[in-house]
Amino acid sequence: MKTLITLILLILFSQSTNATAYCSLRDPVAQIAQLFPQKTNQLSIVKEVDDSIRAQVKRALPSNDLHFNELGRHTLYVVMKDKQALGYVHVRSEQSKWGLVEIIWAIDKDLTILNFAFQRCRSPKKKIINDESFKNIFIGKNFKELKGLLSSDGISANELVLAKVQDAPDLVNVVLRCALKTLLITEILWGTDLESFK
Amino acid sequence: MKLLFLTLYLLLSTSADADITDNLRWSLDASARINVNNATNNTSGIYALGLDTHKVFTGPTGDIGYTVAQLYFTKLSNHTPFPWMFDSKNDSEFIIREAHVNYTAGPSWLPNIRLGHFTFPFGLEESIDTNGRLLDYHHGKNLGAKLDWGLGLNKVLKHLEYSMSYTLGGKDKPQSINNSYALSGRIGSLSFHDFVIGFSFFDGEIDNIKRKKVAIDWQYYWGTWGILGEIALGKDNKQKYQWQKEKTALLELNKTSINERLKLYTQYVFLDRELEIAPQRLINMGLSYQLNSKLEVSMSARKQLTTPKSAEKEALFRLQLRLRY
Repeated sequence: MKTLITLILLILFSQSTNATAYCSLRDPVAQIAQLFPQKTNQLSIVKEVDDSIRAQVKRALPSNDLHFNELGRHTLYVVMKDKQALGYVHVRSEQSKWGLVEIIWAIDKDLTILNFAFQRCRSPKKKIINDESFKNIFIGKNFKELKGLLSSDGISANELVLAKVQDAPDLVNVVLRCALKTLLITEILWGTDLESFK
Repeated sequence: MKLLFLTLYLLLSTSADADITDNLRWSLDASARINVNNATNNTSGIYALGLDTHKVFTGPTGDIGYTVAQLYFTKLSNHTPFPWMFDSKNDSEFIIREAHVNYTAGPSWLPNIRLGHFTFPFGLEESIDTNGRLLDYHHGKNLGAKLDWGLGLNKVLKHLEYSMSYTLGGKDKPQSINNSYALSGRIGSLSFHDFVIGFSFFDGEIDNIKRKKVAIDWQYYWGTWGILGEIALGKDNKQKYQWQKEKTALLELNKTSINERLKLYTQYVFLDRELEIAPQRLINMGLSYQLNSKLEVSMSARKQLTTPKSAEKEALFRLQLRLRY
């Protein structure tokens, strides 16, 4: 009986599986082609975002957490042009007041942001993605540089950033948090695997 | 079936993965569903325990393809009428849900090739998976089956995606039975956008019933709200020696909480068959709540608005607890 109760508690409170059936998984091939038009294929590396990764995210980014959809097994795509790796792509979700915002990140081999696109964003301000000055807040920056854009609360952008996007402060906060978590998790979880593509 | 195993062997032998667990996702999937039907004064249950797996095969220059395999032990309890894959109201069976290989490594102009047991590419179900959920787009009822064994072609292009299939019409059996077959397909805009539109067709003979259908489906999301629909026109020969025209429509309004734990939906379903006195209309309402990444509780209620010619109005309440570990 004790074993059964322990098993049930383990199942209920351990946090690393996907809530949806795997037949619904879709690779973001159209978005990868949009971010890397010259690509010929992508190479998937599937790894598990578990409680230890979650704890490392909380340590590196205090006041932040991962949404339960972000736990479980996730894919990092190495974007290939024939036998050459062009960069990496990772899709990550961030909670917002319009539901989850899913952002597809193109990452350079030195783990800086190359580009990004909304896979799903239901903010009325989502067209800001077409604004170069908005994108340039993130493009070319690594984790440390992006972390420097956070305000003291650890979850929103600082005043200098907000001044550049006065009409979409909530969205820029969401994108910044998502970028930070993406680069951090990419390095922690896939860093070793990516050594061979540098 | 031999072709499926041959394809799997080719994927395994060309894959650069160090071992079979590389790029493998797997979950134990358990669910308990209680159905209370007020019209027939019957309470029934369906219990399922299965293994859900997904594996990506890779080579040195990229992905070669992936497999999805889902095997479920399913037990009925006092379930009347019992689904076609069971022999009695308390029967139990091992059921293969999705079990297919999708070869994706061809050149960009070549479609991906799918082989195995998969859901017919048709209507809303193509982009919204209802496998194991109370949410339902009546795929099986409209087409004669939800899944079938066969071959498919699919691709996601820059602005649209498509999926076509030729299957054997044997439903759970990888064979053609009495010349059964099904030709099905859907072409639509990209399914991750806020507005999605798709066109589908179906031409098949399953269980000695011929069906021909065309459909249009759409989804529109605004904030945390969604409005979905599917309209299908077609005909079948359920009545012997006679084709019967049919019009079906489904309209859904849904709402999701901002953390996506809670999902609510309401559906209006309309079915108008030639030679029947009046169209059938029903309403489905449902919700699901994700307690954590493993455990989901969902419930739904169905109310038939028109009385069928040989039965009482259906009033069905369902409750399901689903655990994925």
